Amino acid sequence: MAYTGVTPSARSRGMVREARHLLLTVAPGATWIVIFLVLPSAYLMGVAFMTNGPYGLPEMPLSLESFRRLAGFGFLGWSPGNLYTLLRSLWQTLVSTGLVVIVAYPIAYYISTCRARWRPIMLLLVVVPSWTNQVIRTFGWMNLLAPGTPLSNLAEGLGFIAPNMGLYPSNFAVTLGLVYNFLPFMVLPLYAAFEKLDTAQVEAAQDLFASPVRAFWHAVFPQTLPGLLAGIVLVAIPAFGMYVIPELLGGGKGMMLGNLVANQFAGGANWPLGAAGAILMLIATFIGLFAMRRIGKRLGGGEEVVI
Amino acid sequence: MRKRTFKRCLTGFWWFTLVFLYLPLAVVVLFSFNASNSAATFTGISLRWYGRLMGNEEILSAFANSMILAITSSVIALGIGCRIGYGMYRHRHRKLGWLIVLIYLPIVLPDIVFGISEMAFFVQIHRLTGLLQPGLGTMIIAHVTFQIPFVALIVYSRFVGLDPTLFEAAKDLYATPIKRVVHFMLPTIKPALISAFFLSFTLSVDDFVISFFTAGPESATLPIYIWGAIKKGVSPEINAIATLMIGAVAIAAVISLVFSRRRQA
Repeated sequence: MAYTGVTPSARSRGMVREARHLLLTVAPGATWIVIFLVLPSAYLMGVAFMTNGPYGLPEMPLSLESFRRLAGFGFLGWSPGNLYTLLRSLWQTLVSTGLVVIVAYPIAYYISTCRARWRPIMLLLVVVPSWTNQVIRTFGWMNLLAPGTPLSNLAEGLGFIAPNMGLYPSNFAVTLGLVYNFLPFMVLPLYAAFEKLDTAQVEAAQDLFASPVRAFWHAVFPQTLPGLLAGIVLVAIPAFGMYVIPELLGGGKGMMLGNLVANQFAGGANWPLGAAGAILMLIATFIGLFAMRRIGKRLGGGEEVVI
Repeated sequence: MRKRTFKRCLTGFWWFTLVFLYLPLAVVVLFSFNASNSAATFTGISLRWYGRLMGNEEILSAFANSMILAITSSVIALGIGCRIGYGMYRHRHRKLGWLIVLIYLPIVLPDIVFGISEMAFFVQIHRLTGLLQPGLGTMIIAHVTFQIPFVALIVYSRFVGLDPTLFEAAKDLYATPIKRVVHFMLPTIKPALISAFFLSFTLSVDDFVISFFTAGPESATLPIYIWGAIKKGVSPEINAIATLMIGAVAIAAVISLVFSRRRQA
């Protein structure tokens, strides 16, 4: 309060100056984001409620046709294709997020138990693969899972796949690709939680003759919950909208919502249908963020949970 | 006793996970030196795919596009983003909820929605006005849009970490706001600006989805070129170019390790 004891007019002049300062610093960036992201997203949402024109471009009049199409109602009656894609996206998101948690939890714990000077290197080792381009990483998995490779031969020998099929393209390959891609996103917040772990609680539980399982469940797990939730949101939201991995590893039968949306724009097939799919993705994103904020607040210390 | 077996299991799991993380990259590197063009069997060491890269005009221009895009967009994002970061800090006691929402929007929006809404918007603007033809220009716009928030947040957190009385001292020391910016503000946030620039650069080089949808026919970047090559049918040249990109990441990893060591010491 630098302006106390000054005449009211001087104070209001100061406030005007502060407001102008805010405008000058923030306005260019805010305007940029509004013009190049808010407006385009708003336009895309509008497109979802328009009719599909002859060249795949949106036209008037407004209609809910694209949402009907998304639910599977086409010219030839109802077909389950789009619905399968939606369910597959949900399923892949759930399975891959679950698997990422199962792998990341012990890894994050292990890193936190190692010597302090090794921890940064270990974290770096986990993160570095995700610095390489997503397309290249996925291409690496294509090489590993193609027919005739050791992994495919092994799966063939064990009878998991038909001869000469290879492990890709398949839904399994997509799940694997998703787990691979998102593992660091889960390890980092979990590690942060483990590093701050209050071991006094664990010792107290042990002094009270709690079994290791009970000690873990009551003394360790609640403390790592904020990190776990942050990780789940960081993994599940982008996994649901994933485009590259299902496109390269999934083939026609591994398509997810991201591919459905992209296909409507790439081939100029049906913008309104693609926009309707994008709206669905946005809704899922905001539900995820909202749920995380709610849970984060209930657990207390909601600040650190929000990304 | 039980504790030791537990620890041993964890160690085993750690090494298994490392193999899982590096196997796909190792395969790409290995086959880039393969003498035959088979993607399944390794027949001998050769550098022929690297030799082919050098003569490939498309790859060279894709590399140039990637660099132009990354540097230009990072510079613009730095200019715009650090102003927001400072504005957010200076006015942190006000209700800036709308600004926070605006800044987090590019971060939380799924890539594909981001890319497609920009593409649809650019296409329609181009149809109506002739401006914003898909190409490097539209890609730079899109990249700046997702880089601004990261720059702003890094700069903001640097300012928050400073002693507030420093600003008062600077006010007493330097008469004009411009001098304050040049002699106090910029030098103090220099580390934040450098890391913001490198993060923006990395985000730009690493991005595929948003570039893919905002690109024009002439403005393919390296990831877009690789994508196209994969779609057309796998050629061993992809392994070679991918190996070079993995090598760049490995160098970056070593540099960041050295820096973090030095900071600790």
